[in-house]
Amino acid sequence: MFDAMVDPTAGPANHARATVLAARKPDLRGSRVGLLANVKRNAEQFLDEVGALLRQEHGAADVVRRKKMSITDPVPPDILADLVASCDVVVVGVGDCGSCSASAVADGLALEAAGIPAVVVTTDAFSVTADAMAKLQGSPGYHYVRTAHPVAPLGAEELHERAVAALPEIVATLTGPAKAPGPSVGADPAQETLTGPRRDGG
Amino acid sequence: MTVADVAASQASLDYARAAIEHAYDQGWTDGLPVVPVTRPMVEEFLAQTPRPADEVIAAVPHLSRECTVEQAAVNAALAGCRPEYFPVVLAAWEALGRDRAVTGGGWQSTSGPAPLIVVNGPIRHQLGINCTGGVLGPGFRANATIARAIGLVVRNVFGIQPQELEQATQGIPGRWTLCVGENEEESPWEPLATEVGLPAGTDAVSATLLRTCEFVDNRHTQNPEELLADFADTIARTGAAIVPYSSAGLVLGVEHAQMLAANGFAKRDVQQWLYDRCVRSHEDLARVGKSLDGRTGPGIDEYGLHMLPSPEQLLIVVAGARNAAMSMVVRPFGFAGWSRSAVPIKRANKQQAPGPSVGADQDQRS
Repeated sequence: MFDAMVDPTAGPANHARATVLAARKPDLRGSRVGLLANVKRNAEQFLDEVGALLRQEHGAADVVRRKKMSITDPVPPDILADLVASCDVVVVGVGDCGSCSASAVADGLALEAAGIPAVVVTTDAFSVTADAMAKLQGSPGYHYVRTAHPVAPLGAEELHERAVAALPEIVATLTGPAKAPGPSVGADPAQETLTGPRRDGG
Repeated sequence: MTVADVAASQASLDYARAAIEHAYDQGWTDGLPVVPVTRPMVEEFLAQTPRPADEVIAAVPHLSRECTVEQAAVNAALAGCRPEYFPVVLAAWEALGRDRAVTGGGWQSTSGPAPLIVVNGPIRHQLGINCTGGVLGPGFRANATIARAIGLVVRNVFGIQPQELEQATQGIPGRWTLCVGENEEESPWEPLATEVGLPAGTDAVSATLLRTCEFVDNRHTQNPEELLADFADTIARTGAAIVPYSSAGLVLGVEHAQMLAANGFAKRDVQQWLYDRCVRSHEDLARVGKSLDGRTGPGIDEYGLHMLPSPEQLLIVVAGARNAAMSMVVRPFGFAGWSRSAVPIKRANKQQAPGPSVGADQDQRS
């Protein structure tokens, strides 16, 4: 009935394709872990806690720290290339604002597209914008790890506790068999492809 | 009219209503009804500009989003623009693209800023862009729909929608309504576009993002420095400072502008006077929890903080009616300042005379 109406959302930029997640190894032993921090307060400290735990408890060999200075823009190409060249997996975070949470999701997808398993950590106050970014990028349902908002005012001990609490889901997201693209019975194919490995396997 | 004619007319209007509801159902609107857009309408808009339909006119790289001339045309039509407004919309996009706050994620900001679009040149009168009474308010199709066309691209093309990728904490009133013509005829000074470097008489658009407008009503004095001191009190209020930054501009009413000019103030004198005096002391800032904590930098001295980044960053536009001595302090968003530039409006060589285009014979365009 309204076929003659032009869709104002349609356009060449609208056909973002779903990102196929990078292949995962079953564990993190011997892996080089990239930590991609933003400039929000406590982001680097939180990721450092995660990095230390991954080495102590999961046998990660080393961490590579990188920081991006824009809270909005995607990870710069040189930092992305550097992480791809020097890391086996990358932890991205902490998304604790409107722009940077969405941006962190975009960075996670960029790393996956480059073949590097990644996990994004954002706070729960910004789930909606993180989800919206995943959808905009053609990857609705992209799985990321949530921690409570806010992160900025936490002290060192609280940050450590947050990292400990998030660790199992971070590890599960970075490991395990990546789901094969393609439809499965009773599930939205896009969701199925993009949700990624989870601790519960589903 | 026969009964059958009435019935046919009723059916057409019912269909129009259903089409508007369809647009709502699709999530294409900003909350107000939109105009259903057809392919021939889009062609009418595209005929108004020399720019190719597939040219990218704005982008949000971090969202992997771009807007082409054609997508902007669709959304301008949707917003209720007439086709001849479209070159103004395109120039507004180019002007916004020069604003670091726009390219730095401003559309998603928690502050929910509004684009202020300022039009100079004879095109104001050709298109009916209001520059006098009620210039910031409703009632003028060109002003209302050119600004709305920007907002619909942000929503529909960039996919930045409230409570999703747009994270405005409260937003501001009139976010997609601020398109004004400068009242060049009654301004005592050169138009904004001329001030920032374009030849006099150029049709041009300047733009920046605003966080708000605050009125200064001063029908009390004929002393220019008393008036400027009244502006300074609003400009320098602490709530607008995100220490160590603040910003301001003036949409000056005609009476204020003329009084200042009659007393020998050029625009740059107004800018310098306000830059020098819009300073808050360290004590004032500390009292509201915005202490500089020993920080140093541009605009910070032993007394306190300059609330304008520089004299020339004080945007001055003259607009409104010459019927009362009131003005607006406006608040450019972002720390990088506004671009201090104006974009010439480029129209297609073969101008269609402004006139009714809805329902025009489609063959005329081919």
